[in-house]
Amino acid sequence: MGMLSIYLKPNFLGLLKFLNSVNWCIVLFSLINLSECIYEDQIGKFDWRQTYVGRVKFAQFDTVSTAKKIIVATEENVLAALNLKTGQVMWRHVFESASTGNIQLLHVSEKLVTVSGSNPYLVRRWEPATGVLLWEWSLTLQNEEYAEFSEWWVQNGLLVHMLPIFGSHIEVSMYNLMTGQNRGSTSKLPAIWINEGCALSVPYYTCISGEAGSQQILSVDVTSNSVQIINKPLSDLVQTHEGILRSLDGNSIIPAFILNEKKLVIIKNNQFEVTKVALGDTLASVTIADGTGEPMVIQTWSDSSKGFHLKAHSIATGNDIPEIHCTENIVNIPDPEISGTMCTKSAKDQLVCRILVTAADDSLQLMQQEGKILWSREEALANVVAVEFVDLPVSDLDAAIESEFDQKEGSIWAAFSRRLHTQYQQLQALIQSLQRPEGTKEEDTSPLVRDYFNLHKIIVLVTDVGKIFGMDNLSGAILWKLYEPNLDTEGVVMFTRRSARHPPHDAYLTIVGKHEETSNGLIISLNPVRGTLVGERILHLDVQVMQCTILHQTDNEKLHALLLLDKYENVQVFPQFSAPLVENMFLYVAEKNTAKVQGYALTYDGKEVIAQKTWSINLGGDSNSRHRIVKVVAKSPSERVHSHGKVLGDRSVLYKYINPNLVLFVTEGPDPIHKDVVVATCVDAVSGVVAAAQAHRRARALPLAVHTDNSLAYVYYNDKHRRTEIATMELYEGKQRWLAAGAAFSSLASERAPGVERQAYILPAAPTAAASTDTERSLTDKHVLLALSTGAIVEMPWLYLEPRRPVTPSPEQREEGLVPYAPELPLPSEAVINYNRTLHRINSIYTAPSGLESTSLVLATGLDLFYTRVAPSKTFDLLKDDFDYYLITVVLAALILASYSTKYFASRKMLKLAWK
Amino acid sequence: MSSQVKSSKKFKWALDFNQKNKVISTELPSPPGYSQSSNASYTESSKDTDSNLLLIKKLWDVALGPLKQVPMNLFIMYMAGNSISIFPIMMVGMLIVRPVKALFSTQSTFKMVEGTQAAGQKFVYFIGNVVNILLALYKCQSMGLLPTHSSDWLAFEEPQTRVEHIGGGISLI
Repeated sequence: MGMLSIYLKPNFLGLLKFLNSVNWCIVLFSLINLSECIYEDQIGKFDWRQTYVGRVKFAQFDTVSTAKKIIVATEENVLAALNLKTGQVMWRHVFESASTGNIQLLHVSEKLVTVSGSNPYLVRRWEPATGVLLWEWSLTLQNEEYAEFSEWWVQNGLLVHMLPIFGSHIEVSMYNLMTGQNRGSTSKLPAIWINEGCALSVPYYTCISGEAGSQQILSVDVTSNSVQIINKPLSDLVQTHEGILRSLDGNSIIPAFILNEKKLVIIKNNQFEVTKVALGDTLASVTIADGTGEPMVIQTWSDSSKGFHLKAHSIATGNDIPEIHCTENIVNIPDPEISGTMCTKSAKDQLVCRILVTAADDSLQLMQQEGKILWSREEALANVVAVEFVDLPVSDLDAAIESEFDQKEGSIWAAFSRRLHTQYQQLQALIQSLQRPEGTKEEDTSPLVRDYFNLHKIIVLVTDVGKIFGMDNLSGAILWKLYEPNLDTEGVVMFTRRSARHPPHDAYLTIVGKHEETSNGLIISLNPVRGTLVGERILHLDVQVMQCTILHQTDNEKLHALLLLDKYENVQVFPQFSAPLVENMFLYVAEKNTAKVQGYALTYDGKEVIAQKTWSINLGGDSNSRHRIVKVVAKSPSERVHSHGKVLGDRSVLYKYINPNLVLFVTEGPDPIHKDVVVATCVDAVSGVVAAAQAHRRARALPLAVHTDNSLAYVYYNDKHRRTEIATMELYEGKQRWLAAGAAFSSLASERAPGVERQAYILPAAPTAAASTDTERSLTDKHVLLALSTGAIVEMPWLYLEPRRPVTPSPEQREEGLVPYAPELPLPSEAVINYNRTLHRINSIYTAPSGLESTSLVLATGLDLFYTRVAPSKTFDLLKDDFDYYLITVVLAALILASYSTKYFASRKMLKLAWK
Repeated sequence: MSSQVKSSKKFKWALDFNQKNKVISTELPSPPGYSQSSNASYTESSKDTDSNLLLIKKLWDVALGPLKQVPMNLFIMYMAGNSISIFPIMMVGMLIVRPVKALFSTQSTFKMVEGTQAAGQKFVYFIGNVVNILLALYKCQSMGLLPTHSSDWLAFEEPQTRVEHIGGGISLI
């Protein structure tokens, strides 16, 4: 009764949901449909993809081709062409993510040449318009020790490679760009004065050398045939005796360098020449661009008070060039760096410049000369480290209705007047919505309120660089962004401490990371809907955080308290007054490199919360087993399993062992006999009991594991057979249940060990990420989403991974729907949920439930972002999106009309008969 | 009446279809073998006892009807088999619906009964229908249509709650 009333109370939808939770219906559907694919006209209907290139390393304007574009080479080893007008990726090549794909040089003239890799280097030429590879040749260096300091550039059609060997000499080799033929042998310029602090300003190599007090500044043109060293005492250029050199950014046209972050020195006619240009800031990014006639110095910097600055000066006179300035008050470009400039004179003899600026938050902006941003790209999103789906708040109207049902006190008349009031509001909203289409189309985007099926959410993404984004999940539009330069995102965790379900309280999200410099805890609390800081705001702790979690109970503001266990095993509670709420709370901390797991019980002793060590386990056996933890997966804290068991062929129930405190640890370590072993251990994090364990010999673990419901899956590489395998486990209580239905599960009270079903399957692909679909009640089938190195995300039904798949199924097993065992898992192309949109370097898949039991939301991150939704048991609770509403309305209307007209005709006929 | 007397006097066992004397008789003679006296005596004698007996017999027929259907139903059940498809389902449906309907209409069926055996007849009729319903239920059971297993009630169970709560993961240090 209680359950039914819960479902029936809110609205009719509740009833629908309840009806949908009838299990047999789902089983029926799941048996019919195993494949997941979409129709051609559904492309882009529920999914979007965003392509990124990563932080820009080199950028050059391609002005030769008809379609103007910017060619960029990035830290992510991506070579791409961006549309000059829109900033969209025109073509993109993703190289190897290891050092073999590292791009060393990007040269754009009529030809586009790159040098990538690290000994051997690959010199490639590309067609700039299409990105087609034209030719490549490889180059191997003899001297590998200093290869990391080597510099490349193109000069007069020759590829120059310079290898400085500090304290000794400079090796310069020149190659024919087309053929790779070495022009003469490698020349060695004796230069004992070079050191790590040298700066290259093509083709000059400049160093400060000598003893303190009598330092000399030396420079040499490494490409000229006659070695001519320019030499000057440092004191001639600057007053101080110390000197720091810095090269210019963004393809300067004149050899120059910055001395002591203050003076810009150019090399002209083999002479140092200090320019009159004043640098705006010590960290200003400076480049020398061709100002159509005379070269000019463009510099940008940002400061905390005024934000972004852009300035240009004539190099000859040092005068300010007024055309280039920043009029708009842009404050969100931290530490800008000029990646490239292009200046032309327009027909009216006006200077037209395009300046490409990369910021410290990895964003890429293309600016006009007066500081107007033409487009910007958030390249930080190429490195997403944490994702959280956040519910949107209900609209004001719905909130009023909900509050109406919440209020229990009050007389019947008060309730009646409230009802009338809300209905009046509903009427108003209806009228407004009817009026809107005639008015202006200001609100193109749907307002940020929860939709009927809770499919509209906000995705909060934390990126590696410390930039936090709020993204609309339906459109992929960035709603807000927040850059926190001090955030070290290694191991960052995110908690939704209050969902938007509790008006008038706003949603509350907390990010726990580390401080960049001190490694102490850094807590960022924000409103995930608006992106504004709330509560603790940005909090720097004075201690390192070992682990953190949120309290399951809420305080009177519906806020889950944040619990931090610091390095010294003290517990901090935010907010502090929630400390008395700590009860039945346990915490585990796993050490990655020693495979040691420690369990703590958190208790409130009347004054403060203390952490008490309760158990400890060494997953490798003993402390010097050299095992390390590859992956830890606990169940999703929001998981509520409404399906308690599996119905067998004889209609008995195999009850699942649903322990919400179970954690899967996948470890790997050396073994004296079997080389490497992978051990998967299921540990109850409350009691420290090992519920199940499995070892795989001669195997190496991959950090891919899935843990949901009573089922576990993890991927490892089988060294013996040289293939990837996926091992699955399912835990069962048996045919008798241990606890009464609906009873509370306690890890400390349960004494029995579950029955474990295990199986391993061959995965004929190389997976890079894994996740399981997540629905609100876990009634829908589970599918495992596997991202493959080919760029596909495959949806694998759990039916195939099921460890109970029998070799020869009995009739009962066949009736149950078990698929006969086959060692190799099928990877049909219909199961690829991103159809033909290849995704590069997927490193994580995140899933979230929607309000529809059938539907799970999926976000894949990597170099690209891909969002879609999947329905593992098909959309049994939703009409198909091509459902013909028009036809059914017409048919219904026609039927009603027909019935009324026949009624009329029948009565007329009866009347006539009566008169006869 | 006079002509009849006349002809019977003339020729007792002969029928003359071609009567020449055109005597227009106002009343036709009674058909052969018809005796007004016997008819009258019969109705008077069996009015009370015979109709009552017949009614009781008829009602016993009605009361025993459901029981007589049992062998037929058994045969139908056997023929229908245990597979779940449209025709067996329809048959099982009929098997259940008919006796239930009959039970509800017991009053109207035995409306005109007032007699010594009415209670017995109603009881037998009731028993017969109950036997039929039981048969149908047995059929449902053997077809697996009755929610008698725990698996049939699995979907209505409350989700499990938890006592302890956990948090944690790999050390952030």
